[in-house]
Amino acid sequence: MDLLKLENTLFTIVMLLYFAAMILYFVFVAFKSEFALKLAEIIQTTGLVLHTAALVCRGIGAGRLPLTNQYEFATAFAWGLCLVSLIFVFRFKFPVLGAFASPVMFIIIGYAAMQSKEVKELMPALRSNWLGFHVSTAIIAYGAFGVSFVLGIIFLMRERMKSGAFLDQHIPSREKIDMISYRSVSLGLLFLSFTIITGAIWAERAWGSYWSWDPKETWSLVTWIVYAIYLHLRIRNGWKGRAAAIFAIAGFICVLFTYIGVNTFLPGVHSYA
Amino acid sequence: MQFAIALLVVLAIACSIGSFVTQGQSFNQYAAQYSERAAAFIIALGLDDAFHSWWFILINAFLCCNLLFCNVIRLPQILKRVKTDRDAGSVTEAAADISAPGVNDPNDFFEKMRHSKPAASVTSDEKDILYSPKNTAGSWGAWICHIGILLLILGFSLGQFLHQEYAVYGVPGDAKPIGDTGYVLQIDGFEVGLRDDDTVEQYTADITVYDVNHSDGGSSQSAEISVNNPAKLFGMKFYQNSTGWAARVSVTENGEPLQDKVLCAGEYLAVQDKPDLVIYFNAFYPDFYVEPGNAPVTLSGKLNNPGYLYSVYYQGNMLGMNVLMGSEPLTIDEYTVVFSEPQSYTVIQVKQDRFAWLAFIGGIVILAGLVLAFYVLPEKVWAVKETDWQWTVYGSCRKGGALFKERFEEAAEEFTRQRETEDQHGSAKT
Ligand code: HEM
Repeated sequence: MDLLKLENTLFTIVMLLYFAAMILYFVFVAFKSEFALKLAEIIQTTGLVLHTAALVCRGIGAGRLPLTNQYEFATAFAWGLCLVSLIFVFRFKFPVLGAFASPVMFIIIGYAAMQSKEVKELMPALRSNWLGFHVSTAIIAYGAFGVSFVLGIIFLMRERMKSGAFLDQHIPSREKIDMISYRSVSLGLLFLSFTIITGAIWAERAWGSYWSWDPKETWSLVTWIVYAIYLHLRIRNGWKGRAAAIFAIAGFICVLFTYIGVNTFLPGVHSYA
Repeated sequence: MQFAIALLVVLAIACSIGSFVTQGQSFNQYAAQYSERAAAFIIALGLDDAFHSWWFILINAFLCCNLLFCNVIRLPQILKRVKTDRDAGSVTEAAADISAPGVNDPNDFFEKMRHSKPAASVTSDEKDILYSPKNTAGSWGAWICHIGILLLILGFSLGQFLHQEYAVYGVPGDAKPIGDTGYVLQIDGFEVGLRDDDTVEQYTADITVYDVNHSDGGSSQSAEISVNNPAKLFGMKFYQNSTGWAARVSVTENGEPLQDKVLCAGEYLAVQDKPDLVIYFNAFYPDFYVEPGNAPVTLSGKLNNPGYLYSVYYQGNMLGMNVLMGSEPLTIDEYTVVFSEPQSYTVIQVKQDRFAWLAFIGGIVILAGLVLAFYVLPEKVWAVKETDWQWTVYGSCRKGGALFKERFEEAAEEFTRQRETEDQHGSAKT
């Protein structure tokens, strides 16, 4: 069996499932259909399972961790966002989070679909176990920051919406959304720290220098500092609620710039990624 | 902390500027890329080497001072907080975030909140209290994280200022001094591992380092190094850094062998009898191909059609530049030059950074601090005896906010439900 072909098929199915989940979530929000919500949750969870299978197939088919080029990282990013959002949905009993995360997931997996899926042999610098740790922690970090971005949007929308039974039943209080957002930023910052440290260890082994101010490194540090600022503003200036929500949205833009912008606009050793 | 936040903002901006301006270019390169005025501005502010500029170092120095100062001030505060957090006598009703009155079995409530069963104690106003603090160590999280940042910046800065770095390149058989360290690096072997599809799988070098200053005339240490697998010899780290092409250049004079040397691309050879005559080995193309009007390229990494790009200088003036294919000879007056035996040379980076471990420890400490700050949230649950069979349970968690309250409320609700069913069962029995 050709595992890479299977991966390709699974990838297409997953994309369709995420799309279906997105539509169903939309139906749930627009028409207050509980049935659509249940179905969307089942479809998103199924999507995650098949997505995991797709990544495993690619890993086995390519004979290495499937985390080494723009396509692989993009699909893994969508997977990370799906995983973290589902964990938060179940942990905090917050299905609407899934509803708002699904378009972001769909955009990211759509971006993956536009990348070259060719399996290339790895250049020597990429042949390292540290790369595996580096990228897998980045996926969780990005997923968590993605969730805080989505929560920021939900928070701002909650502010504008009139209270009603449907809203109160499905969207937690602003205070709770804010706390969940803080939890997801914390998770993201912890994993981003792991990402930076494992990346530094890898860089030291591959390039002989653990930090060389390459644009991607620099931007991951900028992102790290931005979220550190978020934490301090919460404590010092009581920047909770709306300000924190806006900050979480801005922080994720930084994440996206680190991920896509740097590769596109700035030169560096990471540009093969 | 306001100043710290401002510093962090400035640092983030400084870093992003450094990433947008291509680093290490010359005035002319910036002028070509932007404008002459912008280039002058970039050079004047040191934006061409932003991460080593005085202002970047200053921002970091301020950050470190601020962090150190803040941590020193906070140390007694945290010690006091952790101590009082553990002390039942210190709790007051006002300190509670939430409470649940009318609880008849407080120990059950503690269990529901996943707190250990506390020992009985008394409050300052002589009421019976069961007090159960949890995760008090979490108060250290931010402090430890900040210490980690200080260690990291310290280790990184010391490394920046005090590290030593050399590059040694050559082909197997070469032995060259490593800067002024008194060590000699000998390249015993170098192999470029190609896959079937001609892509490079690995670059591997066998090296031996000799300590020529050693009293017994030189002890040595050997290792195999490849990309991602450096080796440590005599306290220095050796990295397989990059590679290039080298070839043997043989010079004959009227048919008599005169000179024979392996040159790496980019090196030159001065003819022995006539040092004014210099052969410069510009580049090597293993699989030479050139389309008319274009620069030459190599079609693959395999030695299918070797081409040597050379130039000849006499008294500093270039006489010509051309490509020799295979073993084609080049004749200049009575001299004949032949390039042969193309082979890969290796560039080995030698580095000694005695403080990298400090930065590494800093990183680990940051992680430990973050785990404590985010996942070991100090929380307190306590029950105060109101009547013989009724207690009020209180809870507080500084960083738990709505989520802690929700958990507490759930425990309280579950407790009420359980009690109601017990009551029903009780009344059914009687
Ligand atoms: C000059 C620099 C800094 C100063 C003066 C400073 C100061 C502080 C202070 C006073 C707190 C409150 C501690 C508490 O409530 O227990 C805090 C919290 C914290 N700081 Fe910093 N900080 C600085 C830089 C950083 C940086 C660069 C990071 C990187 C991540 C960081 C990470 C944290 C964390 C994780 C917390 C705990 C936040 C939370 O629990 O929500 N700090 N900082």
